[in-house]
Amino acid sequence: MDREAIMRLDEVKKTYIMGEVSVEALKETTFEIFNRELLVILGPSGSGKSTLLNLVGGMDKPTAGKILFQNKDLAQVSDKELTLFRRQEVGFVFQFYNLIADLTAEENIALAAELVNDPLPVDDVLREVGLDDRREHFPAQLSGGEQQRVSIARAIVKKPQFLLCDEPTGALDYETGKIILGLLAEISREGHSSVIIVTHNTAIAAMADRVVRMRSGEIVELIINAEPLPPERIEW
Amino acid sequence: MSPLNRKLGRTIKTTRGQFIALVAIVMVGVVIFIAMNTAFYNLSRSQEEFYDDKNFADYYFHVVKAPLTITKQIKEINGIIQVTGRIQKDVPLVKDKGGRSVARLTSYPLPMEKEINQIHLLSGRLFDDSTDGVLVDPQHAQAKSLSPGDRLEIIVEGKKVSLSMIGTATGPEFIYPLKDASTMFPDPENFCIIMGPHEQVEQLVNMEGQINQVLVKLAPGADEEQIASKIEKILEPYGNLASYPRSDQLSNATMQMELDGLESSSRFLPMIFFILAAAIQFILLNRLIKSQRLEIGIMKGLGYSNRQIMLHFIGYALAVTTAGFVLGALLGIISASAIADMYALFFNLPESIGGINGAAVFWSWFVTSLLGVVSGLLASWSVIKIHPAEAMRPDPPRGGSRTWLERWDFLWGRLHTSWKMSVRSISRNRSRFAVTVLGVIAAVSIMILGLFADDSVDYMMDQHFTRETRYDYIVHFTQPVKGNELMNWLQWEEVYQLESALEVPVAISALQADEEMAKSEDELISGLEKQFGLRGIFNEDGKALAVPEEGILLSERTARKLGIGVGDYIRVESKLGIGPSRESSLKVVAVNKQLMGGGSFVSLETANRILQEKQLVSAVMLKVDINKSEALEKRLNDIPGVASVVSKDKEIDSIMRLMDSMLYFIGIMLFFSVILVLAIVYNSSIMGFNERKRELSSLRVMGLSEREVSSLLFKETCIQSALGIMLGLPAGRLLGELYMTAVNTDLFYMPVIIYPQTYLIAGLVAVGFVLLGHYFVIRKVKELDMVEVLKNRD
Repeated sequence: MDREAIMRLDEVKKTYIMGEVSVEALKETTFEIFNRELLVILGPSGSGKSTLLNLVGGMDKPTAGKILFQNKDLAQVSDKELTLFRRQEVGFVFQFYNLIADLTAEENIALAAELVNDPLPVDDVLREVGLDDRREHFPAQLSGGEQQRVSIARAIVKKPQFLLCDEPTGALDYETGKIILGLLAEISREGHSSVIIVTHNTAIAAMADRVVRMRSGEIVELIINAEPLPPERIEW
Repeated sequence: MSPLNRKLGRTIKTTRGQFIALVAIVMVGVVIFIAMNTAFYNLSRSQEEFYDDKNFADYYFHVVKAPLTITKQIKEINGIIQVTGRIQKDVPLVKDKGGRSVARLTSYPLPMEKEINQIHLLSGRLFDDSTDGVLVDPQHAQAKSLSPGDRLEIIVEGKKVSLSMIGTATGPEFIYPLKDASTMFPDPENFCIIMGPHEQVEQLVNMEGQINQVLVKLAPGADEEQIASKIEKILEPYGNLASYPRSDQLSNATMQMELDGLESSSRFLPMIFFILAAAIQFILLNRLIKSQRLEIGIMKGLGYSNRQIMLHFIGYALAVTTAGFVLGALLGIISASAIADMYALFFNLPESIGGINGAAVFWSWFVTSLLGVVSGLLASWSVIKIHPAEAMRPDPPRGGSRTWLERWDFLWGRLHTSWKMSVRSISRNRSRFAVTVLGVIAAVSIMILGLFADDSVDYMMDQHFTRETRYDYIVHFTQPVKGNELMNWLQWEEVYQLESALEVPVAISALQADEEMAKSEDELISGLEKQFGLRGIFNEDGKALAVPEEGILLSERTARKLGIGVGDYIRVESKLGIGPSRESSLKVVAVNKQLMGGGSFVSLETANRILQEKQLVSAVMLKVDINKSEALEKRLNDIPGVASVVSKDKEIDSIMRLMDSMLYFIGIMLFFSVILVLAIVYNSSIMGFNERKRELSSLRVMGLSEREVSSLLFKETCIQSALGIMLGLPAGRLLGELYMTAVNTDLFYMPVIIYPQTYLIAGLVAVGFVLLGHYFVIRKVKELDMVEVLKNRD
C-alpha cells in the first residue's frame, strides 16, 4: 500500500468501569489509518469495533496508549480540542441517521457546513448524494435511504479527513443499502476523506481497501484487498 | 406494592426535577388560597362578631348641639330599635414637648351594657361614674408609650385639662382609626381616641344635658333612607352637620375595602397557579406517555387494560397534586396566622379569630385534585390509541414542518439555521409554548401586582406633598379668628410665608326647583387667598387651577355624585357647628381633583360670605425656616386658640413607616412569581431537552461545543420568555387596574401608577430566573453521553 498514514493508534486500550466490573472494550491495539482509503471494521456485537470507531472519531479518550494525528496525541488533548477535532476532521454517519427533525434536508447540511471555514457548496453535495429535488423536505418526509443520504451529505460537506460510518446500512433494505454503499465507495475514491465503515455484515468487506476483523476487543485479522469489488456486485 | 405503583415511583424519581417544579406551583396556589381565604374568613368573622357583640350602629347623625332628651323622640320612629346620644368632639391634645395633636373625645353613657357602639377594654380598667379617668386607643398608647396611671393633657374651652388614663380600649367604630377621609393611613402620633363617661365629658366640654351625635340601630328590613330623613327632620333645629350609614363610617369603609381586596385576590390569584399547574401536567404526561410508548405497548401485550394504564398516569398527576396540597396546606395555615398578625398592625380588633378555615382547605384539595385528574385523564387518553405491536417498532421521526413565519422570505432568509430550528420546534410544540408563555405572563404580572401599590402610594404622596401641599406647617384654630390677628406672625423670624384659609364644612346640592328632593353631599370647602402659593389645585388633566373671585372649584367626587358639571349652580349650606346654618348658591367654575384628600375650593371672601362673615380664617399654612422649626412649634403651642399643628415632614415620616409593612407583602408576591417563572421555564426547557437529546448528541458528535448546543436550547427559551415578559408587563398593569376597580370605593381612590423602573425590575427579575431555570437544564448538556444516545433507539 503506497498511501500515507494519517492517524496512528499506538498500544491503545479502552476499559469501561461499570459499577464494580470493569469491561475491557478494547485490548491493546496498534494500527494505522491511511489517507483516502476505504476501511471496513468487521466484527460481531461486543467485539470492540464501535469503541475503536469512537476513539478514532474523537468521541472518547483511550484508557492507555496514544492516538497520533497531525503530531498531536488525541489521548492527551482537552475536551475542547477534541470537539474542535470532531468539528474539522470528522464526519459521522449513524445507523439511525439522527437528522434534525426541524430542519429540511438542505438546512441539515447547511448546519454542518457552517461549522467549518471552507465547506463544500451545499448544492454540490446535495447533487452528489442525488437529493437535489428533495432539498426542501423535512426528515419525516424522506425515506430511510434518503435520510441516510442526507446524513452522508451532512458528514462530507465539512470535507473531513475521516468519514466514520456506524452500521450505515443497518436500518435499510437491501437495495437501498447497496446504493448507500456505492455512495460511500465513490466518496473514498473521489473525495477528500478516508471512509471507515463499522459493520457486522461480512459481505461489505469485499468492497474495502483494507478489512480489520475484530473479536472480543482485539484485532484478530487485518486483510488488504488488492482488488476491492464495486458495491453493486456485492451480495448478502 | 403492585409493579405499576413501583413503576410510578420510579417515573417520579427519574422526572424528579419536573415533579418538584409542578409540586411547587400547586403548593404556591394552595398556600395563597388557604392563607388568603383563611385571613379573609377570620378577619370578616372577627369583624362581624365584634360588631354584633358591641352593638355597632347602623346610622350616624352629627348635630351642632341637641338636648339628650331628643333621643326619646327619635326612638318613637317606626323601625328603630335603639338610640344612643353622645358627645364626640375633636380637641387639641398637648404632646409631651408641647406640640399639639388631635384627640377625638368620645362620651359613653353609663351603664354601657345596652348602648350602641360599646367599647372593648384591652388593658387597665373600665371607667365608672364615681372615679374619673379615660381610656385611650391602643395604637396611640403604644406610639406614646402610655400606660395606666399616665396623664393626658387636652385643651377644652380654651383651658388645659389633665385627664388620667386608666387603660386602653377599642370599639367597633375605631377598628381603623382615621381622622378623616382625606387621611389614608392611621397616624397614632398625631391622632387619638379618648373615651370617657358621658357625665364627665359633658362637663369637660361644657355641654351638660346635651349631645352632638345620635347613633341608631335599625330593625332588620327597615327602610334606612326613609328613617334617616325622618331623624334629620327631628334634628334640623339643632343644626344637622352630617349623617351617614354604617357603610360610609370611615373605619368600616376602610376595612371593607381591605376585605374586598383580600376576597378578590383569594379567588383569582390561586386559580392562575392551579390552572398553570394542570396545563403543565397535561403536557408533561403527554410527553411521558410518548416516551414510554414501548413500555405501554409491552404492558398492553402482557394484558394490562387501558384503564389500568391510564390510572397509572393519572396517578402521577394525583401524586403531584397531593404533595402540592399537603405542603401548601401546611404552609398556608402558617401564613394565615402571619397575615392575621400583619392585619393586627393596622386594625384594632379585640382579638383576631385564629383557627383553620376547613372550607378553604377542602376547596383547595378539591380543586387541585380535580384539575389533576382532568389533566391526567386528558393526557392519558392517548394511551388507548397505542397498539402493542405498533408500539414496539421504532417511532417515525418527528414531523418537522414549515411555519407561517417562512412566508416572509426577507426575514426568514436572514435567520441563522439554529433560530430556524427553534422557531419550528416552537411551532411543533404549540401547546407547550403557549403554556410557557402564559406562565411567564402570569408570573410577571403577579410581580407587577405586588410592586405597583408601592408606586401608587409613592406617586400619590409625591403629588400630594410636593404639588398639592407646598407648606411646611398647617395650623388649625379651635375657632375661626380674624385674619388681621395673624399679621404679626409674619414678623417671626421662622416664618417665610404665610397664607390663611377658612375651612367650612358644608352640604352641597344641585340648585334645582325641588329643594326637598335634592340629593346632598357633605363636603369641606376651603377658602384660599387669591394669590395662593402654598396649596396646589389641579383639574383632572393635572392642569393648575386658580381660585375664582366668584364661584367654586368643585371636587371631582362631589361633582360626579351629584351629576354636576362646569357652569352649573350649586346650593351650599354651611355646617360649621357654630352659629346658624347659612345657605348660598355658587357657580361651578371648574372641577378639581386631588389624589389625597378631597374638598372644594373657593376664595377666602367667598368662604366668608357663605358664613355671612368677614375676614375670618380657621387655618394657616406656613412656609418656614426648617432649621428653626422647634422654636416655631414652641411659639405656636403657647397660643391657646391653636387646635393642631401639623408638620408635613412628620406626616410623611409616619406614612413612610406604615409603607414599610407593605414590603412584606411585596416580598411574598415576588417570591411566588419567581417560583412560577423558575418552575415553568425549567419544565418547558427540560421537556425540550429530553425530546431533542438524540439530536443534541448528534450535534455534539458533529463538533458543536457544549456552549453551542446550550445556546441552541436557549434560543427557544429566549423566544418564549421574551414574549412572556413583554406581554406580562402590560398584563400586570391590567391586573392592577382590575384589582383597583374591585377595591376602590367612593371614599378611597387609588390610581394605578406603575413607574418605569418597576417594569424594569419585574422584567429583570424575570430574566434572572428564566436564566436560572434554564441553567438547571443546560447543566445536563454536559452529561449528554454521545456514544450511548447514538447507539440506542429511543
